[in-house]
Amino acid sequence: MAATAETKGPSALRNAFGGVLGVFILLLIGVLAFSIRIFSVIKYESVIHEFDPYFNYRVTQYLTKNGIYDFWNWFDDRTWYPLGRVIGGTVYPGLTLTAGSMWWYVLDMVETVCVFTAPIFSANAAWATYLLTKEVKGTGAGLIAAALLAMVPSYISRSVAGSYDNEAVAIFALVFTFYLYVKTLNTGSLFYATLNALSYFYMVVLGTLLASLVPVVGFNAVMTSEHFASFLVFMENVTLKHNDHYNIEEAFSWHYAQLECCFRRTYASKYIPIIASVSEHQPPTWPSYFMDINVLAFLVPAGIIACFLPLSDASSFAVLYLVTSVYFSGVMVRLMLVLAPAACIMSGIALSEAYDVFTRSIKLQLPNILDNSPDAGDINSVSSIAQNDASKIDSHATTNKSETVSKERPSRKNRKKEKEKEIVEKVPSNSENKKRLLVLPLEASAVSILLLIVLGGFYVVHCVWAAAEAYSAPSIVLTSYAPDGLHVFDDFREAYAWLRHNTDVDDKVASWWDYGYQTTAMANRTVIVDNNTWNNTHIATVGTAMSSPEKAAWEIFNSLDVKYVLVVFGGLVGYPSDDINKFLWMVRIGGGVFPHIREPDYLRDGQYRIDAQATPTMLNCLMYKLSYYRFVETDGKAFDRVRRTEIGKKYFKLTHFEEVFTTHHWMVRIYKLKPPKNRIRGKLKKPRSTSKSSSSNQKRAGNTQKNPWQ
Amino acid sequence: MDLRIPRVPLLVAVVALISLSSAASPTADDLVAELETLRSQSPSGVIHLDDRSVARFLTSAPVPRPYSLLVFFDGASKADHHRRRLRSEFALVSSSFAAHHASSPASSRRVFFCDLEYQESESSFSLFGITSLPDIHHVGPEHHSLRDSDRMDQSKFSGLAESMAQFVAAKTRLPVGPIVRPPPISSRQIAFLAVALLISAPFLVKRILEGKTMLHRLWMGLALSVYFLSVAGIMHNIIHKIPMYVQDRNDPNRLIFFVKGYGMQLGVEGLAVGFLYTIVGLIVAFATHVLVRMRNEAVQRGFMLVAMVVVFWAVRKVIYLHNWKTGYRVHTFWPTRWR
Repeated sequence: MAATAETKGPSALRNAFGGVLGVFILLLIGVLAFSIRIFSVIKYESVIHEFDPYFNYRVTQYLTKNGIYDFWNWFDDRTWYPLGRVIGGTVYPGLTLTAGSMWWYVLDMVETVCVFTAPIFSANAAWATYLLTKEVKGTGAGLIAAALLAMVPSYISRSVAGSYDNEAVAIFALVFTFYLYVKTLNTGSLFYATLNALSYFYMVVLGTLLASLVPVVGFNAVMTSEHFASFLVFMENVTLKHNDHYNIEEAFSWHYAQLECCFRRTYASKYIPIIASVSEHQPPTWPSYFMDINVLAFLVPAGIIACFLPLSDASSFAVLYLVTSVYFSGVMVRLMLVLAPAACIMSGIALSEAYDVFTRSIKLQLPNILDNSPDAGDINSVSSIAQNDASKIDSHATTNKSETVSKERPSRKNRKKEKEKEIVEKVPSNSENKKRLLVLPLEASAVSILLLIVLGGFYVVHCVWAAAEAYSAPSIVLTSYAPDGLHVFDDFREAYAWLRHNTDVDDKVASWWDYGYQTTAMANRTVIVDNNTWNNTHIATVGTAMSSPEKAAWEIFNSLDVKYVLVVFGGLVGYPSDDINKFLWMVRIGGGVFPHIREPDYLRDGQYRIDAQATPTMLNCLMYKLSYYRFVETDGKAFDRVRRTEIGKKYFKLTHFEEVFTTHHWMVRIYKLKPPKNRIRGKLKKPRSTSKSSSSNQKRAGNTQKNPWQ
Repeated sequence: MDLRIPRVPLLVAVVALISLSSAASPTADDLVAELETLRSQSPSGVIHLDDRSVARFLTSAPVPRPYSLLVFFDGASKADHHRRRLRSEFALVSSSFAAHHASSPASSRRVFFCDLEYQESESSFSLFGITSLPDIHHVGPEHHSLRDSDRMDQSKFSGLAESMAQFVAAKTRLPVGPIVRPPPISSRQIAFLAVALLISAPFLVKRILEGKTMLHRLWMGLALSVYFLSVAGIMHNIIHKIPMYVQDRNDPNRLIFFVKGYGMQLGVEGLAVGFLYTIVGLIVAFATHVLVRMRNEAVQRGFMLVAMVVVFWAVRKVIYLHNWKTGYRVHTFWPTRWR
């Protein structure tokens, strides 16, 4: 690039214009990356999404309210009751600190900052992709790759406005670290090396590659020697001077971490049902690739080949990155997110090379054809222009090559001058032989460009569709389109608001772990388990309670000081990811620790059913009862719209729980544990011959006994 | 006390009955010896039964029989991958059982492994009351009617020899012993591979030492094949042990290669789409890096035409398959005013 800048006259102007245009395009790419992600805000509202972001939101709130020192020492007693959780030490502070500083310096509204963190960092990630790809294959490829990354569905799925999670920021950190690394390789500058180390540290602080992609790996991963070793290896490589194997080592040290995760995953899916229960950890099928990286899947092989022609340090790094990430994405669908930038870079390179060839073919041949017919006299001048252009392209290619070669050496300026001389000598020989111009037939090139544009257009349409339809649902507010118009289901927030306003601030709420983060963040009530599934036994206890008959469940919950039980029920409106559908996992996880819970007891001939054929154990467990209590009153038939059947047991009463709140669409139902005196009355029913006086005595005794919650 | 008295005449009666029946039909020892010869004729020790032998060894043999039979119900068509695998696992159980009890002929004489084929022995299938294939039944010494025989629960046997062995051990009270699986590559194949490697090693080393390009090509090939296998979802098929194709239930002669549903794919399906994914990129790379260096314009034109047609077809095919498989309909968004 420096060589072209040195040339004077119109070409300098042209370069300046190109530079401005490039900046303008990058700006537009940033706007695109941001705006494609705010479908969720436009279609729904500015709200935090899903589960994990609520935890991050709560942590950020705490940070902004109490300051960084309190945050660092924060022991959270609102979760994992009665154990609690050390948040300051177990959370990856990168995201929180990033959003916290944005709040500090830019905007004073925590929720707004949290909602828009992901889109902002997607724009940053697009720019980082531009920089990285530019280092690998030049500006054109960089711009295309950035545009592709700005709207790649895989990344959109993790970074729409409101999904305030590590991944959104981590992809930026990952790509930027790689950029700095390649830049360090290409320039040998200590400045970039230092920046690179800092950026790598930031990525580790985000901790995403290790932990947030794979939840089994807890905080320990950062402290374990393997990971620390990778960090050391990297630092060592940065401080030492570069050699050829160096990028491989780094890539491996990074991927070792991933590899470890994947090994752990296989271990985990075998022995820990929680990991197997999350569908994100399944290996993907081919439609996943088409859904998540769309037409990039077609272009990547061309990018790989382009990287080998010729193979430089930077391009070999890109190939390594792609191959490892594509392999790991094949193992776990969640790691598709790591593949997305690599696929964008490769496709950017492929498209850039293809456009380069096709546009060159048109540019060099079109003047000939146009001028051939009217006037033959001008051929000379035209062909000389063409030759000039051709030589420029060739010289461009060679300077590029020379740059990559010379950057490894200290005396690069001298070498560059030599190269330029060579080029100057080459020009006449090029112009002599027109056949040596690397061109394809004109009309075929034109049609190919058209086809590539159509392909790109399809990509844009697909990405916009995916962003708007598939990935923008906050899952906290649901909508459905019916013939009579739009229906909004805001039951979750209704239920959490009810808890917040109608229960005591220290009451404990039990639910399946999925709803733990939301309950602490939105209802501000203590939960037994949450989405940070660090204690399998505790989760198994809740699973066992949900799978037990009412009395046993009451005893378990009572021993945990639980006052309210929350269940999510989709049978009335047809919301499929409700607790009945997750119930088998509760049984499995519970049975993994407490062997008296056996999965076959809940299955009829290996089939999970809740209709009249269901097993008695199923029909008497707490989850069934809490979900379907009074359900028959809704339509008289008790027809479950998710399971598409009438339920097996329609009329029953609760002995140990009482319903205190059910939301508008019955999606969340909250029950209160009855006080213990009811249990004594129930016990006395059996020996009917006992005299009334003794029962009233006992009753009094029950009354005098101190209620543990009051 | 008085109950004891009739025992002696009863015993006499039984002995008389047995001796009478033995005169009419072969003795139990004869049947066992016959079964043993049949077993020794089969390499895995699985006896192939038909209607006649079922009648001889099961229906007409006096109860209690001195042996129990494990019957595998097979079909004639070889296309069903799942059934073929089960059949080979069943043979493994049989041979492992034989190996384990080789030293004690008394116990090996008590259990025999057999199979029945539907086309040959349709009436036996109805005797057992078999409605679906594959199926495994255990006919104990006490079973009078074949319909009472113990069926191996479909959900219990995950298709592995180990779980079948558990069933056999539970029903016959005889341990099957460790399952002896043949090594995936036979020793002859290993020897062949070793020889091939030894012969080619000098050439390979020479090519690699000759220059970087060879190594680069190797690396490029590996990278491309890793890419191809990953986007083909091969890990999904390996981890979940999914067959390449399945047989149509309604029409046994038809094979199914593609299934609907987002989270499921068959082997052939994944490879086909993975191929389509990869071929487009390869063609683009070919056009931009190889074709462009060719001198002959006619050749270039011809290749470009073919390439564009193939690329267009491949992309359209994948889009069509994706829509068909997932049911998604991608649509555009236009300003309301434009409609």
